[in-house]
Order: sequence, then structure tokens, then C-alpha cells
Amino acid sequence: MSTDGNLSGKRFIVPIGPQHPALKEPGHFSFTVDGEIVTDASVRLGYAHRGIEKATESRNWTQSLYLLERICGICSHVHALAYCLGVEKLAGVEVPPRAQAIRVLVAELERIHSHFLWLGVAAHEAGFDTLFMYTWRDRETVMDILEALTGNRVNYSANVLGGVKFDVTPEIGDTIRRGLEFLEGRTHHYLEVVTTDQVFLQRTRGVGVMSLEQAETLGVVGPTARASGMIRDIRVEAPYAAYADYPVQPVLAEAGDLEARFIVRIKELFESYRIIRQILDTLPVGELQTRMPRRVKAGETVSRVEAPRGELFYFIKSNGTDNPERVKVRTPTLCNMASVLVTAVGHQLADMPMILAGIDPCFSCNDRTVIVADADGAAYTWEQIRHHGIAFYQGK
Amino acid sequence: MSSAQERLAAARDILAAWVNDFQEPEPERLDAGIAPADLMAAVRALQTAHWGYLAAITGLDLGAEAGQLEVLYHFCSGAAVMTLRVPIPRQESSVPSICEIIPSASVFERELAEMLGVTVIGTPNTDRLFLADDWPLDSYPLRKDAFVGSAEKEQGA
Repeated sequence: MSTDGNLSGKRFIVPIGPQHPALKEPGHFSFTVDGEIVTDASVRLGYAHRGIEKATESRNWTQSLYLLERICGICSHVHALAYCLGVEKLAGVEVPPRAQAIRVLVAELERIHSHFLWLGVAAHEAGFDTLFMYTWRDRETVMDILEALTGNRVNYSANVLGGVKFDVTPEIGDTIRRGLEFLEGRTHHYLEVVTTDQVFLQRTRGVGVMSLEQAETLGVVGPTARASGMIRDIRVEAPYAAYADYPVQPVLAEAGDLEARFIVRIKELFESYRIIRQILDTLPVGELQTRMPRRVKAGETVSRVEAPRGELFYFIKSNGTDNPERVKVRTPTLCNMASVLVTAVGHQLADMPMILAGIDPCFSCNDRTVIVADADGAAYTWEQIRHHGIAFYQGK
Repeated sequence: MSSAQERLAAARDILAAWVNDFQEPEPERLDAGIAPADLMAAVRALQTAHWGYLAAITGLDLGAEAGQLEVLYHFCSGAAVMTLRVPIPRQESSVPSICEIIPSASVFERELAEMLGVTVIGTPNTDRLFLADDWPLDSYPLRKDAFVGSAEKEQGA
């Protein structure tokens, strides 16, 4: 049914977000609809901006590490890793092999926790809350492992400039192996569920299809790209840290629909289990850290790592002082967001939460760079913002 | 898959018509200085030759003294990273939009425009992406003279 004639060319726009029951994170989407069918989509981000890129410029190299690690609560480790690898390259520091292997170990544990988290969220968006509850229960296993290993459930803070903070003892190795054994069994079960549950398949099979050609044009990264048959995995293309010693087999699917994105992410879990076990079996002996100079030689570098959502890109420039000159962060969600806007067109409005969840969006990664300021450009302090907020709402 | 060195050599061949200033700052990186007027032609040539993908656009402020900004277009192919470096004046700075060739560049260009005050000529969407609606129009957060010392003020130093 077309409403163009009836409404004399006027368009009907459904705004979703930044605060909306069907969207758990702050983004604003405008969907232009014809009846139930989406004909156009646009996005507005920035609701979770904290001014992190700018803030690194007035903090020293070590302080910036802790700041960048807090860009994202889900993939904190990869941000710290990308930054450390870049700064170490600039400083000409060689990190001991044991430290590099432990970095990869934590990165893969983080991928497991992130993919389980995503599986739960995506299942919830499809209305399959039983799957959501089970996956999040199982996710506690890997969260417990991360806590036992690093002392923290989310911001593990495993990296320091020049190495890692903690060792992997044989006892903790056994704990990890036991946890992985349980998770592997569960993962087989989930793979079966998402590929055989008929009700679930109606929400995923043939929905949000992105062809290989489209994926290339849209510049998507990570599992979203791999589900359309494109090998885009930095661990494979440009191995960093210890990935050259622990090679990754990229997981691909051809269909490019939501089902393919489920299959790719779940199968990647098996690859992560394999790599972690291999690292535990063959962990190199040696130091955990090397000495890092306080000042970093002037220069520029590019550092790329494979976050759970895809390629994370850091550009770091040093001017030879204590502080970075510029840190540019390009997160995978920014690349993948454009694909949502394109694949949304032609689908039912009710499919939008699922299509959005399909790229595993991370808004805190996306949004980084705002300092609240008044019209004269003077920055507010947190205390001033609080007082301003109270005064503003009392005035209403 | 060819090695990073072979890919960078191929990029040199593709770009030779517009670039005479090639630098190799690191083993798997190539920097190519290019004039704003030649940007479109160079990007089109890369695209026609299927050389990698646009990974990010970085804006650099070289400071008020230098009076220059630099816009970096990072293209990645396997382990190779090739960066087109476009120097532009700090006042009335502008670059042409490459969205016509690479549509996914739109979000990168919006970020560049609002954060560094670079006019991206012909970009399809000039709405703000990250900054708030009531953010002052002439304030560009990633310029070096924006909010100097605000962190110290916040920390009470």
C-alpha cells in the first residue's frame, strides 16, 4: 500500500531514541515509513560523548592508557591493547613474548564475554528471552575467569605500557580450562538453537541481507563483514601481539543475513577456545614487562587490532613530550552503522531492533569526544554541570 | 595475498601521477602528500584499482603557528596502510568530499567537519554527528587552541 498520494507527498517519520524501550543504548534513529515498511533511515549519535580523544592531549602517556581503556566497558582490553602496541612501536620498545601471549589470551576471553553478551541482547531483541537468560548466565563463567585472572569483571586493566600486569599461573590455567569446557558445550547447544528454532529463524533468516558487494561498498568490518563472506579480520590480515604465533582461522558465512551473523559469532567462539587452550599449553617463559621511557620519541604510528566488533583503528602522534600530540580512535561500530541504514530499507519497522543488534553496536565506543561548554567556550566542571542541571529543572 | 611491500609498491604506481612526496615512516606504511585539488582523482584511482578500503579519516591541527591543518585518509589493504596526507590552511579550511566515490566516508567527514572546522565541500550530510545541537557554531573541540588547560582547571591544579 502506498500512502504517497493520500498524504500528498508528505513523509511519515518514526523517531526512535535516544531513550526508547526497544533500544538499550543512546542513539537516535529516524525511520521514514510507508505503512509498516521502512523506506529511509538516518542516525544521530553522540549522546554518550565524554571528550576522550581531546582529553588524552592534556594527560601523560600512562594516564591516557587508563582513560582510553574506559572508552568501552565491553571491549576495554582491545582499546588499551591498540594504544599500548602503538605507543610501544613509537618508543621502539620490544615487549616480552610472554606478555604478548597473555595480551592475546585476555583479548580472546574478552571476545567470548562480548559475543555471549551480544547473543543475549540479540535474542532479547527477537523476543527470545529464554535464550537471553541462559546466555547471560553462561557469560558469568567467563566473567568469573576474567575476575580471577585480573581482579576485575570489565575494566581488566591487564596492559601497562611495555607489558602486562599479571602472570598466568598453572592454577588459573586450570580454572580457565574448566570454564572453557563448560562454555564449549553450551556454545554447541546455542549454535543448534539459532540454526534450528523455527520461530527464531523467522526473525533472522533472510532478514537484513547484505551482499558481499554491498559489504565492500559500505566498508563494514568484523563479524558483520565476515557474515557476508568478506575476510576482514586484523588477526589474520595483519597479526599483532602474539597472533603470528597463534594463527587464527577466519570464520566466514555467505548468506549475509542476520542468521549468518549469529552463526559467524558463535563459531568464532570455538576459535577463541582453541586459541586460549593453545596459549595455555605453550605460554612462553620470561618477563612480563620491559622498561618504558617516560617520554616517547616524536613520530606517528597506526595501530590496528581486531575488537569483538571488528577492526579498531588507532592513529597516534607523539611530539616527543610526556603527553600525546593526538590520539585518533576509529571504532568498528562507526564503520558498521552505515550498513544498518542501508539494510533497514524495505524491512518492517518491527525488524529494526534486530537489524541494529545484528551489527552488535557499541555506543560508548562510538561516542567519545565532547566536553560540555557554555557559549563562550569555557568548560564546565562536573560540579557546575550538576548545579546547572538542578537549576534548569527547577526553573521549568 | 601479496605482501604488504608489494601492495605499497602497487599504491605508489597508482598514485604516481599526483604524488611526488612519498614517505615510508614504518615498514608497512606509506605516506603520500597530495594537494586538495588532486584528492578526488587519487581516491578514484585507488578505488578503480581495488586498492584496499578507507579505514579512517584523521584530522590533525598543526597549531596556530604553523597555520595549517592536515587531513589524513588512511587506506588499508591487508597489513599495508597507505595514508593520503592533504595539507590545508587553518583559516577557511576545506577539502572536497569523497562520498561520491566512497559513500561510507560520510560519517568520517561529518566528524572531521564538526571536530576540526574543516568544510567538506559536497558532502551529502552536513548534520552534526557527535556534537550536541546547542554546541557553539564556531567552536571546534579538536583544534589545539580549544579548551587549553581545561583539564588542569577541572582537576583543581
